[in-house]
Amino acid sequence: MASQSVAVTVPAPGWGRRLGVPAWYAALGAACAFGLAAWIYELEKGLASTGMRDVVSWGLYIFTFAFFIGLSAGGLIMASSSEVFGIKALRPLARMGVLSAAGCVAVAALMIIPDLGQPFRVTNILVHPNWTSPLVWDILIISIYFVFSVVDLAVLHRRARQPGRSRQVARVLAYIGLPTAVLLHSVTAWIFGLQIARTWWNTALMAPLFVVSAILSGTALVTLVALAAERWAGFHLAPATRRWLRGLVTVTLLIDLFFVGSDYITMLWGNVPADRSALNLVLPGGAWSWVFWLEWVVGGLVPLAFLVVPRLRQLPGSLGTASFLVLVGVYAFRVELVVIGFVNPLLQYPPGNALGTYSPATPSFQLVGRYSPTWVEYGIVIGLMALFALVMTAGYQWLALGRAETPVEAEEPSGADS
Amino acid sequence: MAAGTSTTPHHVMVIDTNRCVGCWTCAVGCKEVNNEPLGYWWNRVLTTAPNQSTSAKKPASENIDVPWGEYPNVEMSYLPVACQHCNDAPCVKVCPVQATFRRDDGTVLVDYERCIGCRYCIAACPYGVRVFNWGGGEYAPGGVVGYGKDYRTDGHLVFEPERPKGVVEKCTFCVERIDVGEQPFCVEVCPLGARVFGDLNDPASEVSQLVNEGGAVQLLAELGTEPNVYYVPTRRRVMTET
Ligand code: SF4
Ligand code: SF4
Repeated sequence: MASQSVAVTVPAPGWGRRLGVPAWYAALGAACAFGLAAWIYELEKGLASTGMRDVVSWGLYIFTFAFFIGLSAGGLIMASSSEVFGIKALRPLARMGVLSAAGCVAVAALMIIPDLGQPFRVTNILVHPNWTSPLVWDILIISIYFVFSVVDLAVLHRRARQPGRSRQVARVLAYIGLPTAVLLHSVTAWIFGLQIARTWWNTALMAPLFVVSAILSGTALVTLVALAAERWAGFHLAPATRRWLRGLVTVTLLIDLFFVGSDYITMLWGNVPADRSALNLVLPGGAWSWVFWLEWVVGGLVPLAFLVVPRLRQLPGSLGTASFLVLVGVYAFRVELVVIGFVNPLLQYPPGNALGTYSPATPSFQLVGRYSPTWVEYGIVIGLMALFALVMTAGYQWLALGRAETPVEAEEPSGADS
Repeated sequence: MAAGTSTTPHHVMVIDTNRCVGCWTCAVGCKEVNNEPLGYWWNRVLTTAPNQSTSAKKPASENIDVPWGEYPNVEMSYLPVACQHCNDAPCVKVCPVQATFRRDDGTVLVDYERCIGCRYCIAACPYGVRVFNWGGGEYAPGGVVGYGKDYRTDGHLVFEPERPKGVVEKCTFCVERIDVGEQPFCVEVCPLGARVFGDLNDPASEVSQLVNEGGAVQLLAELGTEPNVYYVPTRRRVMTET
C-alpha cells in the first residue's frame, strides 16, 4: 500500500467564520426539542399515542434501535481493523469512526426508553436482572460497548495529539474492540433470533446477518460523515481510504444480500405455511412489499451499480450516493425483520388478536397485523437522530478532527504491513 | 413428578372442544371478573375447523362464526384461547426483570409493580395471549366490576382491579379464586361445562383422567413450551341432509 497517500495534513478552515454552523446547531436543537416534547406527550397519554398495539407491539422505536446498534459497528470495526489487520488507509478515519460508534450506541440505548411502558422503572433491570433474557445481556453489552468507545476515543485522541504515546494501549483496545463489536450485534440479533414463537425470526442466520449488515451500514455511515466533513469542514479523504471504503461497502452489501436471499430460498423451497405466509407479506404483491423494493433495489442493486459499474463509479457523487442508499436498504431490512415477525398471525384463526384499545366502529381484533407509526413516534425518532447529528458535529469540532490527522509513518515505523 | 406425595397442586385446565359452542361466555366472564377495559380480551374464542393446523390453511373469513372450507364442504369448531400457563414459558425466559414468573403450581403471573413495559414477552409468547395496557384503559360505564381488590402472592402484586398503564397483563388462572379453592371464573360460567380445572398431581381428578386417558393435547405442543392448558380435540361429526 502506498503509505504516503495516507498521510495528510490539512488546515481546517475556521469554523467560526462559517455562517452555516450556528444555523445547523439551531436546527438540530429545535429537532431535539420537538422530540422531547413528543416524548412528554407520550408519557402523558401512554403508548396508546403510538401506532403500536397488541398485534404489532414493537414498531418504529425498535426498527431504529436495531438500526443504530448496527450503525455503531462500522466505526469501531474500522478503527480496530486498521490496527488488528494493519489497514493503514483506514487509520485517518479511526477517531471519526469511534466517535460515531459512541454516538450511535448511545442513541440506540436512549431509543429504548420511550418504547417502555414504565420508563421510570428501567432500573429494575439492575435490581432484578433475569439472566435468561437476551435483553439483559444486550443492555450489558451496550453499556460495555459505550464505555469502551469513549475510552478508545480518548486514547486515540491523545495519540493523535502526541504521536508515539498510548500506542500500546490503542493496540490492545483495538484487539478488544473487534470481538466486543461482534458480540454486540450478535446479542442484539438474538433478541429476535432465539424466539421460537415467530418462525420469521427463528433462524440461526440472524447473528451473522446482523454482524454483516452492521459492518455494511456502519461503514456507509462513516463514509457519509467523512464525505460531509470533507465538503464542509476541511477533512481530507485520501484516495486509498476511499478505495477501502468502497471495497468494504461493496463486499458487505453482497454478503448481506446473500444472507437475506438464502433465508428467502429456505422459506420458499420449504413452503411451510407459517414461513410462506410471512414471506408472502414481503415479496412483491404483499402488503409490505415496499420494504422489499427498498431493500433489494433502492438499497441493493442501485448502490451496487454505483459501486461496481465502471461508468457509474466514476461519477463524482457515486460513493456518497451508494452509501446513502445502502443506509436506506439496511433500515428497510430492520423494518422487514421486526414487522413481519409481528403481522404474520401466530394462530391463524379468526378473529385473531385483540388490539388492546377501543375505538367505536372499528374492529377490536386483527388477524393479520397492521401498523403505521404516529407523529409521536416520528417526532421522538427525529429528535434522537438530531441528537446524534449534534453529538457528531460537536464531537468533530471538539476533537478538531479536521485540523490535522497525524501522518501514520511518523508514529509507527514498524507498523504491520498488509 | 412425585405423584401423590407432592403437597403443591399442579394446576391444569382442560377444554373439551366438542362441547364448546363458541358463545364467548367465558371470554365475557373473564372481562367481567377481571375488569378488563374496552378492547382488552385476556380470553378469546377462535373460530377454526376440526384438526385444523394453526397456519396451514387460510380461514374463509377474518370474522368469527364463518365456517371453513367451501360450500357444501364446510366445517367449523371453536378454540378458546387464553394464556396456556406454560411450564417452560418463553415469556418467563425473556422478561428482563423477572416481572413475569411461574409459581410452583404452574400458574404464570405478572407482577404489575415490577413490569417495565418492554413487551418482550408479547414478542416471545407463541400463543399471542398477552395484552398490553396502552393508555390506561377505557372502562364501560358503571365502575369497577368483578373481584375488585388487589391480590398478592409471595409479595408480588398479581391482580389489581385497574391495572396501571404501560404494563403487560393476561389471564391469571384467576389466581385469587384458585388460591381459596374456587374455580377460575371461565370454568364456572361456561354454560356447556366445556372447561375443567384441577390438580394433575391427583390421579383421580377429572383433569388427570382427561389428560391421561381422554386424549387431551396441548396447543403447539411441538414447541416444547409444555402448556398447562389442554384441549380435547374435536371429533368430526358429519351433518347429513334431511
Ligand atoms: S401462553 Fe404465552 S403468556 Fe402464557 S405462559 Fe405461555 S408463553 Fe407465557
Ligand atoms: S413487558 Fe413486563 S412482563 Fe413483559 S417482558 Fe417486559 S417487563 Fe417482563
